[in-house]
Amino acid sequence: MSDIISIKNLKKTFGEVVAVDNLSFKVKEGEFFAFLGVNGAGKSTTISIMCGILKKDWGHIEIAGKNIDSDMESVINNIGVVFQSSVLDANLSVRENLFCRASLYGLGKSEAEKRIDELANAFSFKDYMSRAVGKLSGGQRRKIDVARALINNPKILILDEPTTGLDPMTRKTLWSVIDGYRNKRNMTVFLTTHYMEEASGADYVVIIDDGKIAAEGTPLQLKNAYTGDFISLYNIQEKTLKEKNIKYEKYGSALRVFVKNTAEARDLIFKYPELFTDFEIIKGGMDDVFLNVTGKKLSGGNQ
Amino acid sequence: MNAFTSLSKRNIAMFFKDKGMFFTSLITPAILLVLYATFLSNIYRSSFTANLPEGFSLGDSIVNGAVAGQLFSSLIAVSCITVAFCSNFLMVQDKVTGAYKDFSITPLKKSVLSYSYYVAAFLSTLTVTLFACAVCFIYVAIVGWYLSFSDILLIISDVLILTMFGTALSSVVNFFLNTQGQVSAVGAIVSAGYGFICGAYIPISQFSKGLADFVMFLPGTYGTSLIRNHCMSGVFEKMASEGVPQGAITAMRDSIDCNLYFFGTEVQGWVSYAVILGAVALFVGLYVILNLVKKKNK
Repeated sequence: MSDIISIKNLKKTFGEVVAVDNLSFKVKEGEFFAFLGVNGAGKSTTISIMCGILKKDWGHIEIAGKNIDSDMESVINNIGVVFQSSVLDANLSVRENLFCRASLYGLGKSEAEKRIDELANAFSFKDYMSRAVGKLSGGQRRKIDVARALINNPKILILDEPTTGLDPMTRKTLWSVIDGYRNKRNMTVFLTTHYMEEASGADYVVIIDDGKIAAEGTPLQLKNAYTGDFISLYNIQEKTLKEKNIKYEKYGSALRVFVKNTAEARDLIFKYPELFTDFEIIKGGMDDVFLNVTGKKLSGGNQ
Repeated sequence: MNAFTSLSKRNIAMFFKDKGMFFTSLITPAILLVLYATFLSNIYRSSFTANLPEGFSLGDSIVNGAVAGQLFSSLIAVSCITVAFCSNFLMVQDKVTGAYKDFSITPLKKSVLSYSYYVAAFLSTLTVTLFACAVCFIYVAIVGWYLSFSDILLIISDVLILTMFGTALSSVVNFFLNTQGQVSAVGAIVSAGYGFICGAYIPISQFSKGLADFVMFLPGTYGTSLIRNHCMSGVFEKMASEGVPQGAITAMRDSIDCNLYFFGTEVQGWVSYAVILGAVALFVGLYVILNLVKKKNK
């Protein structure tokens, strides 16, 4: 896979504040890329620079083989963006909104209608095409936001915290639609999110803190490097663990033991097989990775 | 569809579908109607009758026609500006809602977006003011019609010019606004203040000399005077034919700003046109320059 996004030594300051500090990373074509960080870490600034909304101070950005300094128009034609909050016109209908945005990419009337129908079928919003966007539910509106981002058939879909504020069911539905579309089109997805379970499905993750890369890798690599495994033991007395000098914590009806990795878990099973009559081993999640990397906690859209 | 046409249509639809924005634009004309219903009609009436020679009286139809003409001109003079401001607030609201950001990540040229705001605000304002004009024509027809066909055409051309002026002025002012708070503040100032400084609520002739001299530097004053002249020329011709002395008519015209004086010198009609059209050209030019500078600094 070739690189579809290449960022080298990107720097952006706002007065005294360094928002992005010498940031370099690459995103491969067709990849699901997660870009994580707390509020103010520099995620949205980086996205704004990639889209040409903000000017960079320093660095080199290539998107779909085009330099943003010399060919922003080509870059813009290759990206679609879902912003943190809906930017569509609340008083206009879904069709009016999408039609207006389609025309901005030079799509003719019949071409735009065809594209809108295509998206309406893919995202199942044909039933409320004539309804004002402001009267849609949060989930329905987000679907339209994603459809708007895809109106120009982009190679890269940038999702800036797309599911913040949505209920779990709506989040799931939205992701199934995006995943289906991505797989069909080999589209690259560039995601920023506060929901770590969304990031755990990514092909590659970059965590930034104070404008710098704090960690990067596949979710598995990050979990292996920055968190351990948890063994939950059931039907075991606390004193049994105390006698064996095994550190634990109460976790619901289980006693939970932290181990550095799966090898250490295996060694513990071989050493004390009598403890492992009813148990489960769970890998640390991306939340733990994030906490260990940045020392900061992310949870459901709030820091 | 062409991006400019599509955006202009979107901007017009946004104005008429946003009930808050639409009704806010009608506040100033509504204030004027309330003032008229409570006391302005008496002031208007007395400004005509007070200038009549002693013992001379005019029929109700002429006086009513004169009062209606003054109300008509005041209403349209303020509406062309305040409605333009409100419809053009969309350019600020787009920054607040993020729609502007959304437009920025498309291949759309910034100049096309700026011109679409101008054209949409102009057409929205024109729709409202021409509708208001039609209502005023009906009202004048009921209370006392003295307008000729050429008066009607001149009034419509005044509406066009004043709408262009209001759109150009609001484009420049709104260009600098970024928040809903600023929109509210400017909206309140324009709605409350413009009617006074253009001579729509109270004739300039009744201002103190300093204030009267000051408002003569504002182009809107000349627009109000033009439309007032065209709304009332028929009434004054009728008065002349009824035998009202020319001196009395001149005094009436002075008292309601049909005749404007710039530091004592009477302003000719063509000068009023030159001032208001010059102001349109100036503000449109300024708007273009501001957009070019913004593009360069992006």
